[in-house]
Amino acid sequence: MFRTLPARAIVPVAVAVTGFVIVCCILLYSVMKTDLINDTIIHETNLTDTVIKSARYAMLKSDRETLRNIIANVGDLQGVEHLRIFNKEGRIMFSVDPREVSRIIDKKGAGCIGCHAGPVPASSLGPMDRVRRFTNERGTEVLAIAAPIYNEAACYNAGCHFHTAGQKVLGTLDIGLSATPLQKTLALMRGRMIIFSVMVLILTVGGVAALLRRQIFIPLREITEFTSDINNGNLNRELTVSSGELSDLADGIRAVALQLRNAVEETEKLKKDLEQTKEQK
Amino acid sequence: MGNHPPESFQTDGSDKQKPSKPLENEKIRRLKARSNRTFYVMALFIALSIGAMRDFDFLPSFPPRLHELLGEPPSAGMISATLLLYSFSAIILILSRMMSGSGKYGGFTQVGYLAGFYLFFHFSGTMEEYFWAVFTAGMTILGLEIYQVWTWCREEIKIQEEILAALERNRHKDDKPGD
Repeated sequence: MFRTLPARAIVPVAVAVTGFVIVCCILLYSVMKTDLINDTIIHETNLTDTVIKSARYAMLKSDRETLRNIIANVGDLQGVEHLRIFNKEGRIMFSVDPREVSRIIDKKGAGCIGCHAGPVPASSLGPMDRVRRFTNERGTEVLAIAAPIYNEAACYNAGCHFHTAGQKVLGTLDIGLSATPLQKTLALMRGRMIIFSVMVLILTVGGVAALLRRQIFIPLREITEFTSDINNGNLNRELTVSSGELSDLADGIRAVALQLRNAVEETEKLKKDLEQTKEQK
Repeated sequence: MGNHPPESFQTDGSDKQKPSKPLENEKIRRLKARSNRTFYVMALFIALSIGAMRDFDFLPSFPPRLHELLGEPPSAGMISATLLLYSFSAIILILSRMMSGSGKYGGFTQVGYLAGFYLFFHFSGTMEEYFWAVFTAGMTILGLEIYQVWTWCREEIKIQEEILAALERNRHKDDKPGD
């Protein structure tokens, strides 16, 4: 296959262009995926902060009923897979799922290990470090954020004197959103990039191959067949090539073929004359 | 490579040169061996890629002290940009070698660079995301290298065979008495 001129001209170009386009698409997709996930995390972090701020007054007044309502209302939002608040000891105090209440969270689990890796828990983490991804028991992929609820002056100065000033973190809000819309967007983006790449490859490789075929390979094949026929003794074949420099080559070959034909005709004529002379003698 | 007779001719004191067949074919054998060596490079890259696909889990992990010494790995974005630049320049280099008819070959060097990319992505923790990019770049570059060396070796082998055929014809002419 690689002996023919079309294969040797087109295959390297096709391989180079195809490989490079695929590498570019994979890298571009990865970069865009990272950006999309980061945007989703920022959106989720903002939602977490909104929930904490909304629940602040209820927590300050130790109004558990209102806090439970806030958790339930936010938990009803589309895409919210879980929402819970657990205290400093890791015990779930409020949750959308009532079965989880009073359960203790594993501090070494994903989402918690970021702060609790060492002997002294970290008091703050960047938004990207608070994120964890997992598939829940319903089979839904979840993007979860654990946001610490920090102690404030209003908290440790409150009349109930429940929290001391030395406590930095009072508890944690853990919210999990379904990653299904994100997955759908990524799949759509992936599909579009694949279609675009295929179109680019077809145009590039196909266009180059079509032009080469028309301008170079077909005229060369005609010239090759013509010279092959001349070699086999068929001197009466015609050659018509009109493709740039190849037409000059064809003219040259035609001239040589004409000279050869004339030489053969002359030789035949001389032979006949010689035979006639012999017969007359 | 010039069209000069191979140096394997032995003289027996007379004006006639007697070609030594094993030495004459040595060049062709070397060219064939060179052509086949490229497939070993591809096999090496595929083996490396299998390890990378598993994120090199069979290798012992570095101690934390060494991690601290090495510092933070470059970001995945920076490594990707470098990979793109490397792929582009490698492909251009190979295509220019094809155009100039050069027999130069950088197979093991390319595998070294690709191994470096695999390691950087491994240390940055983003191997799963970028494995296929490195693999596709490697297959493209090594595929073009193999094709370039293969076609160059074939052309050189053809030249050598034509030289050998011409020498054989001359030898037969010399051997025939009365010519």
